[in-house]
Amino acid sequence: MKKINTICIIDDDPITVFGIKKMLKSIGVAEEIKTYVNGKQAIDELTAMFESKEKIPEVIFLDINMPIMDGWQFLEKFIALPIEEKIKINVVTSSIDPYDKEQWELYNSKTHHVIEFKNKPIRKGDIIEITKAA
Amino acid sequence: MNNPNTLVRNYDIMLRGNPTVTNNYLIKQLPKATVYVNKKFEVVHVSDKWIEDFDFSKRNVIGQALNTLFMGVDAKWEKTLKDCLKGKTSEKGLQRRIDQEGNEQWFEWLNIPWYDEKENIVGVIIQTEDITYRVQNELLIEKLEILLDVKSNLTNIGSWEYDVIRNKLSWCTITKSLHEVVPSYEPNIDTAINFYKEGFSRNSIAMAVDKAVESGKPWKETCQLITAKGREITVIAAGKPIFKSNILIGLVGTFQDITNTIQTATKNKQQERHFKSIFNSSYQFTGILDIHGTFLEVNETAQNFAGLDESDIIGKKFWNAYWWPIPDYIKDGLKQVVKAAAQGEFMRSEIVVLDKNKNPIPVDFSLKPVYDEDHKIVSLLAEGRMIKEMVKARRELKVSEQKFRALYELSPISYILSDFETGEILDFNSSFEQTTGYNKKHLGSLLINDILAKVPKRKQDKILKDLSSKNSFGPEEQQYIKKDGTKFPVLVSGSFVGNKKGRKLLWSTAQDISESKRNEQRILDEKLLLKTLIDNLPVNVYIKDLDSRKTLVNRAEMDYVGITDESELIGKNDFDLFDAASAQISRDEDLQVLNSLQPMLRKETINVKPDGATTSFLSSKIPLVDENGNATGLIGISLDITDIKRKEEELRGLINVTSLQNKKLINFAHIVSHNLRSHTANFSMLLDFLVSEKDPEEKNRIVNMLMEASDNLLETLENLNEVVAISTNINLNKKPIVLTDKIQTVEQNLTAFLKNNNALIINEVEDKLKVNAVPAYLESILMNFITNAVKYKDPMRKPVIRISAKKNKKYTIISIRDNGLGIDMKEHGEKLFGMYKTFHNNPEARGIGLYITKNQIEAMNGKVLVDSEVGKGTTFNIYFNEKN
Repeated sequence: MKKINTICIIDDDPITVFGIKKMLKSIGVAEEIKTYVNGKQAIDELTAMFESKEKIPEVIFLDINMPIMDGWQFLEKFIALPIEEKIKINVVTSSIDPYDKEQWELYNSKTHHVIEFKNKPIRKGDIIEITKAA
Repeated sequence: MNNPNTLVRNYDIMLRGNPTVTNNYLIKQLPKATVYVNKKFEVVHVSDKWIEDFDFSKRNVIGQALNTLFMGVDAKWEKTLKDCLKGKTSEKGLQRRIDQEGNEQWFEWLNIPWYDEKENIVGVIIQTEDITYRVQNELLIEKLEILLDVKSNLTNIGSWEYDVIRNKLSWCTITKSLHEVVPSYEPNIDTAINFYKEGFSRNSIAMAVDKAVESGKPWKETCQLITAKGREITVIAAGKPIFKSNILIGLVGTFQDITNTIQTATKNKQQERHFKSIFNSSYQFTGILDIHGTFLEVNETAQNFAGLDESDIIGKKFWNAYWWPIPDYIKDGLKQVVKAAAQGEFMRSEIVVLDKNKNPIPVDFSLKPVYDEDHKIVSLLAEGRMIKEMVKARRELKVSEQKFRALYELSPISYILSDFETGEILDFNSSFEQTTGYNKKHLGSLLINDILAKVPKRKQDKILKDLSSKNSFGPEEQQYIKKDGTKFPVLVSGSFVGNKKGRKLLWSTAQDISESKRNEQRILDEKLLLKTLIDNLPVNVYIKDLDSRKTLVNRAEMDYVGITDESELIGKNDFDLFDAASAQISRDEDLQVLNSLQPMLRKETINVKPDGATTSFLSSKIPLVDENGNATGLIGISLDITDIKRKEEELRGLINVTSLQNKKLINFAHIVSHNLRSHTANFSMLLDFLVSEKDPEEKNRIVNMLMEASDNLLETLENLNEVVAISTNINLNKKPIVLTDKIQTVEQNLTAFLKNNNALIINEVEDKLKVNAVPAYLESILMNFITNAVKYKDPMRKPVIRISAKKNKKYTIISIRDNGLGIDMKEHGEKLFGMYKTFHNNPEARGIGLYITKNQIEAMNGKVLVDSEVGKGTTFNIYFNEKN
């Protein structure tokens, strides 16, 4: 399995973050795992990274329902960044609202990044599949 | 009367035997006027009566010759006297004498020879009788008779006389024939008066005779007699009374029949009038000339033709008339023509004359001598017929006659010609035959009364009155009877036509109106049906004219306007009935429909009555178009949909509420699903880890996390419970709450919290202002907003919260304004009241407060609006519904 430099988890639920981290570590796929508790924190950091030409995480786990800035608001801003690399974004949510599915399709069509839609809970088997750089 | 011969002979015998003295004495006393004359006709003896009769008492007559006494004896008498001397007894004679006072005397005389004893004729015995009175009377009558007879022959005058003493009335032949009685008829004074026409004639003649007898003056009256044959004649009845010694002894009189005279006079006048009208209205030029060619008369046609007045022509010479072409030879020719006609020749030729515009017109000209009774030429009749006009007129006449014939025979209207007096039907056309079933064979026996049903007296009188005043009547509705006896209604007009042979003929036209009568009835029935139908329709129906004035309204429309009598609405337009704005809209619609001829269908309109009452209608307006395609008005049909509209509005509101609720429910379902799923997902994941985890430290951590997840799940369930409670609490008990009191309660409950945060609440709400709300909700709402305002204070500022309130029509609006951090409305506006949405990095933010608050507000049919600016503060405007 190809080693990924940085994976980023954006979720306000510490249990989920713990779970994903644990699974990622168990398969040992990433050098570094960054976590953010909401979209605002994440986009601020990532924008700073992009501006300082740091390497953007290749895979992002993104929750939808978050305080201050939710997952879609984050995506809106993120795809607006002129990042050349294809980033793999895994939308991980417990929502079964069709609205969220539509939003996913909308953003998928708007960007060159690869966006996946996954309902919680994420299993170990899933993690290997979705944690591949785009 | 004694026979004079016998008497004389007696005297004679008596005298013969006696001397003269004796004779003289005897003769003197003779009761009869007697005179003895000798052969020289000298008086020898005379009776006193003779002296008295001839009034010779003052003269000595003896020895005087008759010749002297009577101042001459006429030849006839002298001859009889001389004959007597020869022994011849004369016939009775009559002698007229004028006495010394000039009075006429009449004597009847008898001469007999006077013999002496020796039978020698010595003279003549003359016996006379004064019959002056008798003779005069007889003569008078005779004279009168002669006079009357002579006159009668000329003038048809009849005479009569009445002898009072003998009570005898006699009529002459003419009088009898005037009375149309047989020649042997014996009139009497009582029956004679009955010939006078009863009434005026009889009365006036009786009075005239009475007056005449009283005054002695004659009478003359024009009056009517009814003859024995019942004929009425007009006579002049004249007469006078005859008296003797002041005693009425008789009446004489005459009758002059003037019936014909009157008729003749009327006839003459008529004839002259006819002649004049024919003369003037004739198509031809007619003039009358004297035999020398001078115009005596000229008709109007000729005058008009030449453009001249009568006075321009009368008295002028024929050949100088305007219309002849100028050349002299024509004048000369005309002179010759006149001359020839004056000698009895009938002149005729086609010539050319000039009309008033000098146009030559060909004329058929003739000049004809006119004779009087004595066959003497008295004048000349000049006639000119315009050949062109004649031909044209004849052709026109023929065409018009053909037209009439065709019309007469083909017309669907019946024509009937009848004799007005007898009622006999003289002719009818085929339409009459078809409608009545009679045919031409019935002519002659068919009377107008056979086909005409009895007409009411009033109508009959009107028809007769019209006929006598205008010579025509109608159209009148009458009933005709068919041959089979059925009656049918007709429209009849009639007029008198030329009464040939004195018959008064009536042309009647009769139009069979059974069909139109039936139609009329059917239309009436249909109209009634339609009216009933229209009146009972549950929609407003009306008809408007071009000016949008109503000409018909049904009951629903009347009910809507609020009147009971149709006439109050007829002729009114919308401006009279509704407020100006909706009337103008309606008028504009009307014009659109009338101008485009396109109907307006099922349009929702709103009518506002002057009192402000608003009604919604579903209106259609359909143009009414006449046979030429022009609009004459429109039919309007309006369905009152006010109720439907209100219900629709309510329904829409209900749908809005329901769909909102539905949306909320779905949203809530998603929230529930999401929240529960996220927790269960965590459980599932953690349990997964736990199963495979070997490291006891790690295991312990996972178990702690499981417990945390369990707590979160419980909290989530609690929150959901709270929300469900609000959303399902239908029986909300709203009541008016004094807002200030509630604010104070909340303030007291939050005293410590506010103090810790150094917060200030400024209550600007009116003391008594009440809010219609669920008390617990109001408290919770105030608590939430105040707490939020403090929680999200700007750390650089002391938190100040202003609470104010105002009321509008529907809501009481409470404004809670803070000077806190403010919210980026662009970023978070949509999600502000979402569940588990937080917008600040505040660890205490649970994202549930505003969600519940909003649910509580909406549960009370209220709403909440936000106005916020980052760094300045936020204002929440909470709308409390005061209505329900």
